[in-house]
Amino acid sequence: MAAPVIDTLAGERTRRTAPAPRNGGRFSVHFAHYKWLYLLLLPGVVYFAVFRYAPMYGVSIAFKDYVPFLGVNGSPWVGFRNFEDFFANPDFPRLLGNTLILAFLNLGVAFPLTIILALLLNEVRLSILKRTVQTLVYIPHFLSWTIVASLSFLLFALDIGPLFQFLNNAMGTHVDFLSDPAWFRPLIVLQEIWKNTGWGTIIFLAALSTVDQDQYEAAIIDGAGRFRRVWHITLPAIRSTIIVMLILAIGQMLNTGFEQIYLMTNALNREVADVFDTYVYFVGITQGAYSYSTAVGLFKSLVGIVLIFGTNWLAKRFNQSGLF
Amino acid sequence: MIHRKLSLAAAVVTATALSLTACSGGDAPAADLTSVSIMAPFLEAQPPAADGAVQKKLEELTGKQVKINWAPNASYEDKTNITLAGSDIPQVMVIQGKTPGFVKNAQAGAFWDLTDKLDKYPNLKTTFPDIQKNASVNGKVYGVFRGRSPMRAAVMFRQDWLDKLGLQPPKTTEDLYKVAEAFTEQDPDGNGVNDTYGITIPKWGALGTNSPYDLIEEWYGAGNRWTERDGKLIPSFETDEFLEADRFIKKMVDEKLINPDFATFDSTKWNEPFFNGKGGIIVDVDSRVSVLINLFKQADPTNFQNKVGFVGNLEGPDGKLHAHPTDGYSGFLAIPKASVKSEPELDKVLAFLNTVNGKDVAVLLNNGIEGVNFSVEAGKAATIKPETPEGKAVTTDIKSYAQLGMNVAGNEFYPVKQASDYEQQVFDKRTDVMAQDLKSAVYNPAAPYVSATYVAKGAQLDNIVADARIKYLAGQIDEQGLKDAIKLWDTSGGNKVKEEINKLWQDNK
Repeated sequence: MAAPVIDTLAGERTRRTAPAPRNGGRFSVHFAHYKWLYLLLLPGVVYFAVFRYAPMYGVSIAFKDYVPFLGVNGSPWVGFRNFEDFFANPDFPRLLGNTLILAFLNLGVAFPLTIILALLLNEVRLSILKRTVQTLVYIPHFLSWTIVASLSFLLFALDIGPLFQFLNNAMGTHVDFLSDPAWFRPLIVLQEIWKNTGWGTIIFLAALSTVDQDQYEAAIIDGAGRFRRVWHITLPAIRSTIIVMLILAIGQMLNTGFEQIYLMTNALNREVADVFDTYVYFVGITQGAYSYSTAVGLFKSLVGIVLIFGTNWLAKRFNQSGLF
Repeated sequence: MIHRKLSLAAAVVTATALSLTACSGGDAPAADLTSVSIMAPFLEAQPPAADGAVQKKLEELTGKQVKINWAPNASYEDKTNITLAGSDIPQVMVIQGKTPGFVKNAQAGAFWDLTDKLDKYPNLKTTFPDIQKNASVNGKVYGVFRGRSPMRAAVMFRQDWLDKLGLQPPKTTEDLYKVAEAFTEQDPDGNGVNDTYGITIPKWGALGTNSPYDLIEEWYGAGNRWTERDGKLIPSFETDEFLEADRFIKKMVDEKLINPDFATFDSTKWNEPFFNGKGGIIVDVDSRVSVLINLFKQADPTNFQNKVGFVGNLEGPDGKLHAHPTDGYSGFLAIPKASVKSEPELDKVLAFLNTVNGKDVAVLLNNGIEGVNFSVEAGKAATIKPETPEGKAVTTDIKSYAQLGMNVAGNEFYPVKQASDYEQQVFDKRTDVMAQDLKSAVYNPAAPYVSATYVAKGAQLDNIVADARIKYLAGQIDEQGLKDAIKLWDTSGGNKVKEEINKLWQDNK
């Protein structure tokens, strides 16, 4: 018996193509027929309801003046005041700017590098070498941001860090990389590249493994060089994967990551370092402005949703397969 | 991130509320108080065991069943708010300070107003009314404050370096400069290399946190966070003395008498340069003296004396001593109205706290159990049996139980006897110096006042000035830039804070 295709999250309907139970599909009969399948579905539904949807109730404090003693229900509604305060705040343009600049730097520098690294790895013909290198470039991903930040502090420490000495000798200047605001963004992007580029190649390498080898042979016979083969065969083959990854990355754009930036921030570079994530922490936890910081977080999430749908729509307009 | 944490918390709260509707809020209050529930932070890796010796002794001494809900110090503030929003609220809550969250809750009526109640209880009646006022919210006392000795500022230096260079301990800020200069330039460790800094300052920017910057500014006469000028209260950073003090610090930064990475240097590593002979001076609380001595003692148990010297507060350029005290308390014990519903009940809880702050319980909470982990020798608590499991357990547990200590009339427990005569001498000298400095303490006149604007956005405002101070010292901005930042503080809401603070100050005078 073919299993019915379950169409919605709650599984209340099945597709018409599913074998119809007798008695014309009344729900109880239908349910009785497929009870074991519904039972299988139950843990998933409960999980999402309890751990993903119920907590969204808490989001309502973005529209309230939340006082813990009065509770979520007892706190007075204030409408959009928290949002208005946020947009009118002189910090807002600076936060938005910092967040977007970091996001675009990560998207423009770190993202293409994962593709390039995947292509390079794909060209390595010696299987053992390829696999070894692949494993080695993953490893930094498993280190926490705390360790990455500590390493940076050791390497770039004023006057004693080896990279500090090397770079300053090479440039003939005296730059304190850790506190000079001009070096904050390059450092953040470098850390991101160092930590996550290898990990990011996984999905592209998986996509590359499915490319039909015959095409390469045909191209070689036609006299295509290595670069031509990459350009005309390999890249098109992973184009849809690139698009999907790009959409996902854009949806996460305002999530610049809290830990990394928090750890690298100090009084001298705060001007360029403050992003939405660190601001929410600073205002929410250290000052107890829960409603306000929830409003900021909610704004961030909404922008993320809009960006995902927008990019998806754009991708489809250009005849690419989107995410959904 | 926060909003996820929060919404989860909200979900948990909702779920608990739903499951508890049947028994609405737990036990009905008994006519006679047989048990007391307390929420308190623990600072060790583990909270004390519920059946430990200290716990048993505490119940024996108070005659009540005491249920303590220990929460980790790091997330204590979150836990406080979540607890208040829930239905299982303890009868006594340790509150760590006048945070915006606490002020909001208190003003919404979450806690009993104890202003006129404490004097009726002999052990809760304070002998330090000023500190009680500091701990109040605009004069309303919402908790029994946890007293801490207010004078703690000290300058610690490498005594061996000082002796080698034939210098005297600093007495004035000018001396501090001279010693720092000598420590930097005259090769105090005698290795022939120019590799020492006078003063080490860690990453520590926020205003009013007793940082080395705050201390030096106060010594210059800038006041303690707020100061009275021409009959009005102004933030200390709006005084000329503040700028003068920062000019002085900047001079030391420019001449490399201070570690150049002061804006990024991690404060947990503060002792290292001192111990390793890289930095010769630390400006911090006097208890760091024992920590430093211990470091040298561990490295060389026979020859650790005379490595660490210290003095108290320094005289400013005006020749006066403006000593820097803290506000004299570290949070308070508040009583939530949700769990203690009536005045008679409140009286019973206060009677319990009165017992807790009596001498017997104070000794238990701070010294431990006599005969198990300490014995009294000439009025001091000497550590005994540190290696037995019982002694060890009690010693560890009291580090958490001390969080319940209020000491509103000074410390009732025994001072700890130091491990050696040398350490005892240093300890006694510390006590003397601090007692002496306390006479010249310049307190924060605005400590009791909480302005609404400051609750809403004070920390962001203060950040403007705090960051500008570090930027100025690092040379990123000039003095005009620092002045501009102070103006920006004014125009972004600071003027309103000043107005509100001054009004509260006038009304409560």
